[in-house]
Amino acid sequence: MRVARWAAVAVAMVMVGLVALLATRDASRNTAAASPLISKPAPEVIAPDLDGTTIRLSQYRGRYVVLNFFASWCVPCAREHDDLQRFATRHGASGTGDAQVVAVLFDDEPAEARAFFEERGGDWPVLVDSRGKVALDFGVRGPPESFVVDPDGVVVARIVGEVTDTGLDRLIAQVEAER
Amino acid sequence: MRARAQRVSWVVLGAVFVFALVVGTAGDRAPRTETERVRAVASSVRCPTCRGLSAAESDARAAQAVRDEIRDRIRAGESDAEIRAYLVSRYGEDILLKPRASGIAALVWVLPVVAVALGLSGVAAAFRSWRRQRATGPPTDEDRALVDAALSR
Repeated sequence: MRVARWAAVAVAMVMVGLVALLATRDASRNTAAASPLISKPAPEVIAPDLDGTTIRLSQYRGRYVVLNFFASWCVPCAREHDDLQRFATRHGASGTGDAQVVAVLFDDEPAEARAFFEERGGDWPVLVDSRGKVALDFGVRGPPESFVVDPDGVVVARIVGEVTDTGLDRLIAQVEAER
Repeated sequence: MRARAQRVSWVVLGAVFVFALVVGTAGDRAPRTETERVRAVASSVRCPTCRGLSAAESDARAAQAVRDEIRDRIRAGESDAEIRAYLVSRYGEDILLKPRASGIAALVWVLPVVAVALGLSGVAAAFRSWRRQRATGPPTDEDRALVDAALSR
């Protein structure tokens, strides 16, 4: 009888723990996902930004790159924008200078993207992928989706859904520790 | 004579089965024009953003991008298999509507065949066993006694 009571208490505690875990974690953020590209050289990206300047992914070799596929109509993209901005400020030219955010427009128009950035801020390059070739090369299924490319040009992570600045920091610290 | 006829009919049945399998798996001739090839390859892969449809059927931009890429690669001289391999190298195996017949994915094709073969062998074994039971000779005195007892009830 006493054993049964203890077992019931143990089961109840496990249940409470699980509920607390599920209630406190934000499941939709920094969700690492599998990709055939992980640990492989990132496909080269050559695309114009919103001003028409040609940008190459390889020009950021030596720095981490967060390649962020987004659209102005995508609600989670708007939600993650502040985090990307904090990350870009901390790691950009005015910060540590060790990482670069590069956005790629997914199924959206340049004018909409321009308005999105004017309203929310952010000064990283936004690439126009008019034929969807960049998204195809990275196997993107829908925004927001981000790839982290290490300083050697190797894909180290694919994040499906929103990113957070602290999540990106943790990821880069982990990759640095393993390098 | 009857046994030989039976054997011949089994052989004929087997030949028809193999012929039907070959015709069924070989399908039509390979498409010739560029448009036919684009359609054939696009029909065999999923639209990346709309899962339920093939890239040939969907109007989504991502499906259009897949079709454009297939056309570009055909023009560059790549085979259908090479184009599918490129898409798998970016999206993974699940971009294919039909799993490939190699590696672990081949199990999808092999397991049903193995299951059917095992089922047929089981049925054949059961028939053989029943036939053997039926051919155990004339009824014994014990059998006759059982029948008499049942009839006298």
